[in-house]
Amino acid sequence: MAELHLFGQIESGCGFSERRLFCKWGLHAGAAWTLLAGAGAGQTQLDDPQVGDAAQWGHPLDLHLATKGLQGWPRLLLEVWHVDGWGRRGLAGYGVCHVPSAPGCHRVTCVTWRPRPTRRQRLLAPGGPELREPAAAAGAADRFRLRTEAAGTVRLQLGVLARHMGRFGVAL
Amino acid sequence: MSAARRSDASEAVRELPPVPSTSRTSFAELSVRQRMREKLKAARTKAEITLSQEDPSPQPRRLKGIRERKPGVRLDKTSDNDKFREMPEGESHLPSKVKFRDSVKKLKQKSTFQNDFPSEEEAYNFFTFNFDAVPEKMKAGARKKNGLNEEEGVEEECVETHEDEQEEDEMDDDVHLVKDDDLFIGQTDEDLLVVKPVDCENYTEQLKREKEFLFIPSMLAVPASEKMPRNMQPRYLEDEGLYTGERPVVSQSNQNILENRILRQDQGKEWFGDDGKILALPNPVKQSSTRPPIFSLEEGIAPEFETVYRKAIKMTSTNPYFVGPGDFQGLFQLDIDICGLIFTHHPCFSREHVLAAKLAQLYDQYLARRQKNLTKLLTDKLHALRSAVQYSIEGSGDGVPVAQQSIPEYKMEIRQTRRLRDAEQEKDRTLLKTIIKVWKQIKSLRDFQKFTNTPMKLYLRKEEVDQKSDEKVYEAEIQAEIKELLEECMEEYEKKMEEYKTELHHWKSWKKTQKSKKKKKKDTRVDEESADHDFGEERIKPIPPRMANSLEIEQQVREKADNCRRKPGEPILVPELTLSGSITPTEQCPRAEVLRREDVKKRSAFIKVLFNSKEVSRTVTRPISSDFRVHFGQIFNLQIINWPESLKLQIYETTGMSSTTLLAEVFLPVPETAVLTGTAALEEIEFSSDQRVMLDHEGVGSGVSFSFEADGSNKMTFMTSGKVSSSVSWAVGEKGIPLIPPVSQQNTGIPSALKNIDAIASIGTSGLTDMKKLAKWAAEAKLDPNDPNNAALMQLIMISTSGEAHVPDFFRLEQLQQEFNFVSDEEFNRSKRFRLLRLRNEEVAEFRNYKQVPLHEREISEKIFQDYEKRVQERDVIDSKNYLDAHRAVVASYLQKVRESVINRFLTAKHHFILSDLVNEEEIPGLGILGLGLFKLAEPKRPLRPRRKERKKVTAQNLSDGDIKLLVNIIRAYDIPVRKQVMSKLQQPSKSSRSFNEMFAASPSAQSPPNSPDWAFNQVLVRPFVEVSFQRTVCRTTTAEGPSPCWNEELELPFRAPNGDYSTQSLQSVKDEVFINVFDEVLHDAVEDDRERGSGIHTRIERHWLGCVKIPFTTIYFQARIDGTFKINIPPVLLGYSKEKNVGMERGYDSVRNLSEGSYITLFITIEPQLIPGESVREKFDTQEDEKLLQAAEKYEAECTSKFPSRQCLTTVIDLDGKTVFITRYIKPLNPPQELLDAVPDRSQTAAQFLYLLAGDEEEHAVLLCNYFLGMGKKAWLIIGNAIPEGPTAYVLTLEQSQYVIWNPSTGCFYGQYDTFCPLQNVYCLISCDNIWFNMQEYDSPGRIYFDISKPKHWKPFFSRSLPFPGLHSIQPEELTYEHSDKAAALELQSRIEKILKDKIMEWRPTRPTRWNRYCTSTLRNFLPLLEQNQGRDIEDDHQAELQKQLGDYRVSGFPIHMPYSEVRPLIEAVHSTGVHTIDVSNVEFALAVYIHAYPQNVLSIWIYVASLVRNR
Repeated sequence: MAELHLFGQIESGCGFSERRLFCKWGLHAGAAWTLLAGAGAGQTQLDDPQVGDAAQWGHPLDLHLATKGLQGWPRLLLEVWHVDGWGRRGLAGYGVCHVPSAPGCHRVTCVTWRPRPTRRQRLLAPGGPELREPAAAAGAADRFRLRTEAAGTVRLQLGVLARHMGRFGVAL
Repeated sequence: MSAARRSDASEAVRELPPVPSTSRTSFAELSVRQRMREKLKAARTKAEITLSQEDPSPQPRRLKGIRERKPGVRLDKTSDNDKFREMPEGESHLPSKVKFRDSVKKLKQKSTFQNDFPSEEEAYNFFTFNFDAVPEKMKAGARKKNGLNEEEGVEEECVETHEDEQEEDEMDDDVHLVKDDDLFIGQTDEDLLVVKPVDCENYTEQLKREKEFLFIPSMLAVPASEKMPRNMQPRYLEDEGLYTGERPVVSQSNQNILENRILRQDQGKEWFGDDGKILALPNPVKQSSTRPPIFSLEEGIAPEFETVYRKAIKMTSTNPYFVGPGDFQGLFQLDIDICGLIFTHHPCFSREHVLAAKLAQLYDQYLARRQKNLTKLLTDKLHALRSAVQYSIEGSGDGVPVAQQSIPEYKMEIRQTRRLRDAEQEKDRTLLKTIIKVWKQIKSLRDFQKFTNTPMKLYLRKEEVDQKSDEKVYEAEIQAEIKELLEECMEEYEKKMEEYKTELHHWKSWKKTQKSKKKKKKDTRVDEESADHDFGEERIKPIPPRMANSLEIEQQVREKADNCRRKPGEPILVPELTLSGSITPTEQCPRAEVLRREDVKKRSAFIKVLFNSKEVSRTVTRPISSDFRVHFGQIFNLQIINWPESLKLQIYETTGMSSTTLLAEVFLPVPETAVLTGTAALEEIEFSSDQRVMLDHEGVGSGVSFSFEADGSNKMTFMTSGKVSSSVSWAVGEKGIPLIPPVSQQNTGIPSALKNIDAIASIGTSGLTDMKKLAKWAAEAKLDPNDPNNAALMQLIMISTSGEAHVPDFFRLEQLQQEFNFVSDEEFNRSKRFRLLRLRNEEVAEFRNYKQVPLHEREISEKIFQDYEKRVQERDVIDSKNYLDAHRAVVASYLQKVRESVINRFLTAKHHFILSDLVNEEEIPGLGILGLGLFKLAEPKRPLRPRRKERKKVTAQNLSDGDIKLLVNIIRAYDIPVRKQVMSKLQQPSKSSRSFNEMFAASPSAQSPPNSPDWAFNQVLVRPFVEVSFQRTVCRTTTAEGPSPCWNEELELPFRAPNGDYSTQSLQSVKDEVFINVFDEVLHDAVEDDRERGSGIHTRIERHWLGCVKIPFTTIYFQARIDGTFKINIPPVLLGYSKEKNVGMERGYDSVRNLSEGSYITLFITIEPQLIPGESVREKFDTQEDEKLLQAAEKYEAECTSKFPSRQCLTTVIDLDGKTVFITRYIKPLNPPQELLDAVPDRSQTAAQFLYLLAGDEEEHAVLLCNYFLGMGKKAWLIIGNAIPEGPTAYVLTLEQSQYVIWNPSTGCFYGQYDTFCPLQNVYCLISCDNIWFNMQEYDSPGRIYFDISKPKHWKPFFSRSLPFPGLHSIQPEELTYEHSDKAAALELQSRIEKILKDKIMEWRPTRPTRWNRYCTSTLRNFLPLLEQNQGRDIEDDHQAELQKQLGDYRVSGFPIHMPYSEVRPLIEAVHSTGVHTIDVSNVEFALAVYIHAYPQNVLSIWIYVASLVRNR
């Protein structure tokens, strides 16, 4: 019966090798969590920064969650994509960040990674390997053997409001 | 120590001074050097000695050791040195240092020079000695000296310069040495480090020490004796016949290690079981996997982390609303094999057949029983149980608790098994008996009738048995049973005895107390005795139970055995049924039988196969053979796309050539996915029919009772029944792939994502059904789980029963979720707040704009969900109450669904934004605009010519309730109906009820009687006022006078958006209408008594409805303002009013009046503040049109709108399925209903009238009307334009006698091109069946344009020479067929509507009684058909006259309302809006009549006549 209200924004993404970026985001939470209101997934606009290499998105997040258990604390899965001059899009990075578990305003920096293309795929560019199941990136499964490379970081500003957590013995 | 060293150094230096003073020669020099060296040596040895003395610790006497020491010392030295350097001695310091070094070098050299063969120690020293030490010491000494004595320093310098001179020839050596010098400087770092040897311990020693702490258990097996308590032998339970369970697998060596380790512990032996093994629970590994395995395509990578290479692709906007035709997965095939049909009863059965069928059935039963052989099974089990009991009783000495415990259980088991076995045996025996009995019956029947019909023969085979052994077994069985029974009885007896004892005890104690009580009572009081007396009687002395008699029991057992068991020595009878008998040929049969056989021959049967209750195929018709079998042997291959819903066989019987009767329907089960053709077995499906057949021959018939007995007793009745043997299976494709629809299709509606990956579901449950049975059987039979024999079985059953008798067909992702939940799911779902939040988020209609959800649960009332729940419940229930007509109800619910889906679609579209929705960039004013602005400032102000100021438009989102107002300006009206002169009878009313107005009007000429000729001039004909109602708010104007009143009043009505949602979408869907009602205010004198007239005025105001104008809010919203003259919708008959022109009232409106037929009102309506009308939803829809055509259409539209942005150009429309269709496809000549053409000569009018009655919007009407006109051979076009009050709409244009006529399709009115009151304001384009023309003229009002489409200057055609008409075929049907309406249903509807309306009127008058005038109602009812016939014209006078005549002294006011019928609510609204019910007179009576005229295709025209009557006194 506890509630968690999450709001804020996906501020920007920087440090990517590409410039024209947008970000898809999705909320991943355990089975005990229910989304009461707000969109559980979305996509920012495409930002082509004129100055600097940080793509400014300022994409609002507003999610109202209810939970009957603590398992599967919500996470945000971020997928950063870039669009080249021909309008073709390719993956720029996957990132996961946990929703801060303390009420209040948080600045969260989420680092991202992406599967590394093989040399052949690099030659075949554009395009690159993508996860068959992007949702798996938000999971807890081991991802060894996956050849990845680091991508940029996504900055988020998250406000967290909790309700009735204390009633169930959860001190945030 | 450093102090010691320093003193040491100073000693050495002190020795110096006396030496150099005299030395001049080389010898001297040499001697000096020598001395120096000696002294150095001495100093060194001294130092060594002192060091050795100072450090008492035992040092290894090695040189290395000393040298190690030295650097440590030097550390202090250098630091000291540094201090010295810091002293401001400056110049002299550095050179002196150099000199010192030089001197050292020389010293060294000397030493090498002098002794050519240096001693070993010297050599070693030379290479390893750290020379720094000495010069530093020297330096230090020199410094001190410098500080003390300058002279000496000078001396030394002299010496050294001298030395320099001498040694110039030794330069090469010097160079080398300088390098060494550098080394000395860099060496300081290394000086800080100590190199130590590795501490190293002997390995064996280490091991030895470790052994003290460590214990390494051996891997060798431990002898059993060590593991067991003393003097105990290991005992293997498994060998004793007990199930021990499977131990988890652990390698032997690991086990040994563990055992060894445990044995070292205290009480280690506790860990070992009786069998000398470590105690272990059975294998905890689950037998079934909790989740299905997922196989990865790539080696080694978790499947979810597999990557796919995707080429970068261009994004295409996805359309979520239209899925493609669906991934067509090809055809699937179902094979239905219909083998044959066997009747178990047929009306043509002869008696013998009936018996034979019975025999066959019994024999089948017998065979089945024999195959199962339950008796044998149970007997065996009984034996096994008995022996088990025996064993456990014998073995109980060992004290195995498990066995001890199970003995009573076993006994119970034995009893139950025995009972079962007895029952089975009895059944067997009776079955055998019945078989023999039936066979005997057949035989006797055959004898009796002297012919045979069936080839059946029963043989009884005797199996001889060994008498003695049989007897022995029999006896043993009986004895065992007796023994058990006795035991049972004893047990029971004991139990009863126990009970008896306790009861007796209770009784005795009670008796005692009773007695003592009695004694007491006798002592105290006598009168209480009677009271106590009665309850003392109640207890009865318990009776001791009877001991069972063994003889009795034996007798019982033997009796039972006699009954149900084969007697010892009796041969075993095995019946065998054969079909070897011969049937008597027909010629030898009696006549009745011959008839029967002929009848059978005539009969034949076939089977229809119904797939999803559609007949797909049928078998050939085959005759029924004499043994009532039909062989078909046909296989039907059904090619299907979807998972079958039902499979049905219909069995038909044909008699002779003609009649075919449906015997029965058999549902075939849809086969499991595992059932494939080739593997499927034939199944027999029974069917029966409740047909009653009586035959006039030997045949027994069906459903007819007959008897085998001669006296007709023991009657039997049989129904036609039989068995179809067939099989249904899935076909196998060419590649061996079964052609089965995907499993996901099976349960459409239920999300079956899990099913797709679940192996069990796809395999089918057929394999599991056996398992279930097995498990059930095991549960019933109470298999001994401890029996090792059953281990494998138990394992299997355990698996199968663990999750409700089968392997779970699901897996849990979050396994411990339940345990850690805060609250249960139910409680969670019960939360009203969450539910409200969720519903609001889902934008469910009821909660779409719910503003603030309360924070606390208690603040949310339960009622909030009521409406929603009701709606959800009733979604599929067609509510016929509101519609009164099943067909319309269905249509309405269909429309409702379409509407919902459209709304949902728009809601989704609402969330799709484009840039302009989000970014509002105002244009930067250019120079031109600025200049204009400046110019405006300079303009002279002219207050008398106010300029129209553009109102500021308000965007919808930041509005709230009360912000928006609807402004209605009622300006004037023309030609309002006037009150008719009252007829002669009414002209002499009683004084009190005369119209006040009349009185008032007549008062100036009080002398003239009311019926004088000038009465008409003075009378106020009508006092109209206008009432505007909108959203239940009502505003009215003042009352004006005369038929052409002028009000010029502004009315303000508040507007509330539904649910407080002021978004554009919501406003667009507001359904409210603005009602502008025109009333006549009639004042009646209410004074009862003429005498009171002098003292007061009592009048009663009555309002009479004259007509109304309805304007939908959406029109106002889209148009921003509505300005114009509208025709008032006046009922065809207004009792008491007429539109007669009054000569006296003629003013200057002749022209207008002559033109118009009705009454008109001029209005101006707008919304304050002005709202920005929403744009239409941008959505690209699916289409089947040619791409080129669509592109051309787009181009055409763009061209047109660029020239005339305000004119709408329509080329494509969206049909009901949401597809884009080119508009001309809709236009096609269509035949109007013949009935209409026949009935009324004025065709056009009729058609229009007819259209008026249809439910639909203007466009649909317009299209239909246009098509009708075309069908009648007229030239007709569709006008896309703008009209008031409809807004953008479609009208129809026809060319009649070189005159253009504009038709309003929804009302049926038509106007000439130059008609002033034509509601069509603008004409945008014309559409015919083969082209579209866009209006290119300057003006667009119909009166100012040319309709000649042949001129491209005026009308821009879509298809022209450059783009010829491709011949698009119409989507309209070839011909409309019109069903005749059901008159009876219309009549019924009529009475129902009448009742509903009457109820409503009574409901609206809650405080006053509502009386109905039956007489008037019936009169009105008679008028209505007339009205329909004459379309409400030209009968008014007769009408009125007749009414007056019939009703006599009633004052009647009323009118008929004419409406198309779609549902009831608008009718109620219409009646309500007239306000008839508001009349306030106490003695008012009402009349209401309804008439429905049914047109073809179920189009209903409704007339409602409402009237109020006031009795004149």
